[in-house]
Amino acid sequence: MSAPENVTLTIDGRVVEVPKGTGLVETAAVAGIEIPVFCYEPRLGPPVGACRMCLVEVEGIPKLQAGCTLTAQEGMVVGTGATSEKAAEGQNATLEFILVNHPLDCPVCDKGGECPLQDLTFRYGPGQTRMTFPKRTLDKPIPISPTIALDRERCILCYRCTRFSESVAEDGQLVARNRGSMSMIATFEDEPYRDLFSGNVIELCPVGALTSTQYRFEARPWEIQNVPTICGLCPVGCNISATTREGKVKRILSRNHPEVDQGWLCDKGRFAYPHLYAEDRIATPLERVRRRGFGEISWDDGLDRAEALLRGAGGRIVTALSGSETIEEAYALGRLLRVGLGAHSAVLPEATSSALDAFRAPLSSIGHAEVVVVIGEERVADRAPIVGLWIKQARRNGGDVVELAEPKLDAELEQRLRSSDRAVLIWSGRAGGGGARLAELAHSLGFDGKPGCSAFHLPATPNGRGVAEAWAAAADRDEANPEPIGLLIVSGDEAAADPAVRALAEKAEHVLAITMYHGLAVGWADLVLPATSYLERDGSFVNLEGRVQRLRRSVIPPVPDELGWISKLAARFGVEISPHASLVFAELAETVYGGEASFGDVGERAPLPARAAYEPPEPRPVAPIPPPAAAPAEHFLGTLRLLRYRPLFSGPTVERVPELRFQRPAAEVELAAADAERRQIRNGDSVTVRSESILTLRARIDRRLPPGVARIAEEHARDLGTTVEVSRSSNPFTSAGGERA
Amino acid sequence: MSSGWGTPKGFAVTFRQIFRKPITQQYPEYKRPVYPRFRGRHRLQVHENGLEKCVGCSLCAAACPADCIRVVPAENTAENRVSAGERYARIYEINLSRCIFCGYCELACPFDAITLGNEYEISEYSRDDLIYTKDMLLAPPMKTVPVADRDLYDTPIPVYRSSS
Repeated sequence: MSAPENVTLTIDGRVVEVPKGTGLVETAAVAGIEIPVFCYEPRLGPPVGACRMCLVEVEGIPKLQAGCTLTAQEGMVVGTGATSEKAAEGQNATLEFILVNHPLDCPVCDKGGECPLQDLTFRYGPGQTRMTFPKRTLDKPIPISPTIALDRERCILCYRCTRFSESVAEDGQLVARNRGSMSMIATFEDEPYRDLFSGNVIELCPVGALTSTQYRFEARPWEIQNVPTICGLCPVGCNISATTREGKVKRILSRNHPEVDQGWLCDKGRFAYPHLYAEDRIATPLERVRRRGFGEISWDDGLDRAEALLRGAGGRIVTALSGSETIEEAYALGRLLRVGLGAHSAVLPEATSSALDAFRAPLSSIGHAEVVVVIGEERVADRAPIVGLWIKQARRNGGDVVELAEPKLDAELEQRLRSSDRAVLIWSGRAGGGGARLAELAHSLGFDGKPGCSAFHLPATPNGRGVAEAWAAAADRDEANPEPIGLLIVSGDEAAADPAVRALAEKAEHVLAITMYHGLAVGWADLVLPATSYLERDGSFVNLEGRVQRLRRSVIPPVPDELGWISKLAARFGVEISPHASLVFAELAETVYGGEASFGDVGERAPLPARAAYEPPEPRPVAPIPPPAAAPAEHFLGTLRLLRYRPLFSGPTVERVPELRFQRPAAEVELAAADAERRQIRNGDSVTVRSESILTLRARIDRRLPPGVARIAEEHARDLGTTVEVSRSSNPFTSAGGERA
Repeated sequence: MSSGWGTPKGFAVTFRQIFRKPITQQYPEYKRPVYPRFRGRHRLQVHENGLEKCVGCSLCAAACPADCIRVVPAENTAENRVSAGERYARIYEINLSRCIFCGYCELACPFDAITLGNEYEISEYSRDDLIYTKDMLLAPPMKTVPVADRDLYDTPIPVYRSSS
């Protein structure tokens, strides 16, 4: 970075001094002057000047200029619409042109009331139309995916959506078709727009051309409240606003935290909120009744039963945490079980560690890294989708992205990482020790002294680390795994859906499940206490950077939240826990988060704590569920190692959102090109996958995949073993793709 | 006080009124007609083809200073077409116990779907009954209210007697 060179220019008679190269729109904003824009959006890359709304008069240039494409130059004299009559006339004419074919849909348009076109027309546009001819009409709305509706009449061709698709998400699926007045936005080949980040185009659209089908006709802007909270579905913790109307969540909007998500949000975070209103949501405690399945009981009875179960287990209790609890909830549960009952044993789906705090940096540091090394077999987007966007940005900014299956660096790469000032390591896979292994690697590469070099571990759970820390802070005793297990407490939906936890439940005498859905609990739990979602609780999450972020309750849950009844239950065991998240946080902050911290300090955009000094990792406080046994190294023709992965669009939350069904992975097996060629399998062929059981799946050849591996989504892999044989299906009736001669 | 004329003077007024025509109006037997622009309880209008004019845009709710209108829209489908636009008001409720009859909803409506009618006899025994639903607002009012002749704007005179 060279030293900033300042330039001085005049905008509307005001003298401004800004660094050279600053865009004129930002420069004007510094002077307190607004240059209206539709298409300009710095996050989408270089300006295109498509909408002509930002017309300004620049002294010495005879014609009006698009302000967004200009940068501040020394001695420039700029007149915006506020002072320059010519510019005001130009903007007025621009709006008149835009409105020529824009339908008068405002009363039925979802954007009406929060529409930049409405606002700018009101302020800069003509009061009346001179258009007396019939407007262009088109079919509306056409679905470009099950979650997005496109109304081409309303489109003003600002190309924000296509630029997002092309240069941010890099999927290239949204394109502009035809020319002139018949230009329109469409998906490539009219395929559904299937991308992890497709929902962002809804928010980018400055008119109501791209709207959400879930939010369609649900509310108007003056009837809603936006609750600033964070997304609790992946470890990134994107900042979101939950739009609520009449006590229900109606949509999720991103809330730009420039260090975390840059205002982008994945489709899982954006469209998964209907899980709150799933049909099988549990509203009252459920108790197993002999021969009748399950019976609903009152909360008083439910707590009595829970107390009896806890007392009856005699301390032989294991808690299966899902890693999506708030830290306050985990702490309260820990206090209840560890202090009140002496039950110290807990399992988390993945190990956690704070070792990476020594190499902490905001996620945005990935975006301008020189070299990014991604280690692990899991796709980044499946674990933390926004990190995938940051990596793409790094690549666009000229950085090198290296993907490795194993943490083995060759000498050249190691040398590069050592010498670089902006290197990033990302661990995206199993057995990372919660970042401990990556921290060792980063330490060995000398990242300690370089603030530009950072390392990130992508955990499998949204708040696993916070939960582990809070659980550890609840008492200072060592855990002992009880044998046999008297009571298994299953906390949360992810734990209830986890096959490892189910296996544990078979060994337990009793099971107490805390879950949101009938489908997850009925049949194997003795007592089910209803849970709440991340949109319904107050509390805090620790994201993968180690940033403590604040969840705010957006809607009142249909059941008492966990903290409320845990505090009541704890009182019966002589443990005092506040039912208020803020007080629990204050108590927890004394031990974990460095002295006095309160909810108020977290704020709407949480700051990132400073780096800690590197220490060799300590033994973990919470024992992980062991990952599936590693595959044998043998690899000959016919046998491939099965790589099970958990797709982003999976899990109990996504399963309850019908709109997201199209995003879920197809029944496919992904093969490396070499493996497929050896087996004479082509893309789309129907193949038989054989181990202890036999499955028929469609083949997809993936060039990114290393040879010797068959990659199948967890939900399709079912009970396949660790090694599989893959061959072309001989049965023509099971063929999924077109048969070739 | 000083003179003895006070009492007869006062009674003179009384006796003079005895022989005049009384101005008392025998409501509810007799209903005084309202002005043509009187703002009574709301009505929702329909098009001639039977489709509702309301598209559920909630602008009335936005304009309402008493916050007494609730609109929950839904989408028109080919099987169930209720209004002329893309959507219609699935729920349209006015809480008349809160309404101040300012008429802003009428002004805000882009489709002239809501108008303020003439009825003012809307008292009920329960507050709940004052929440008017869409069906009640769409239906013609049960009680009719006489409206003054437009030509005799300033001095309304009864045009007919109502017996309700």
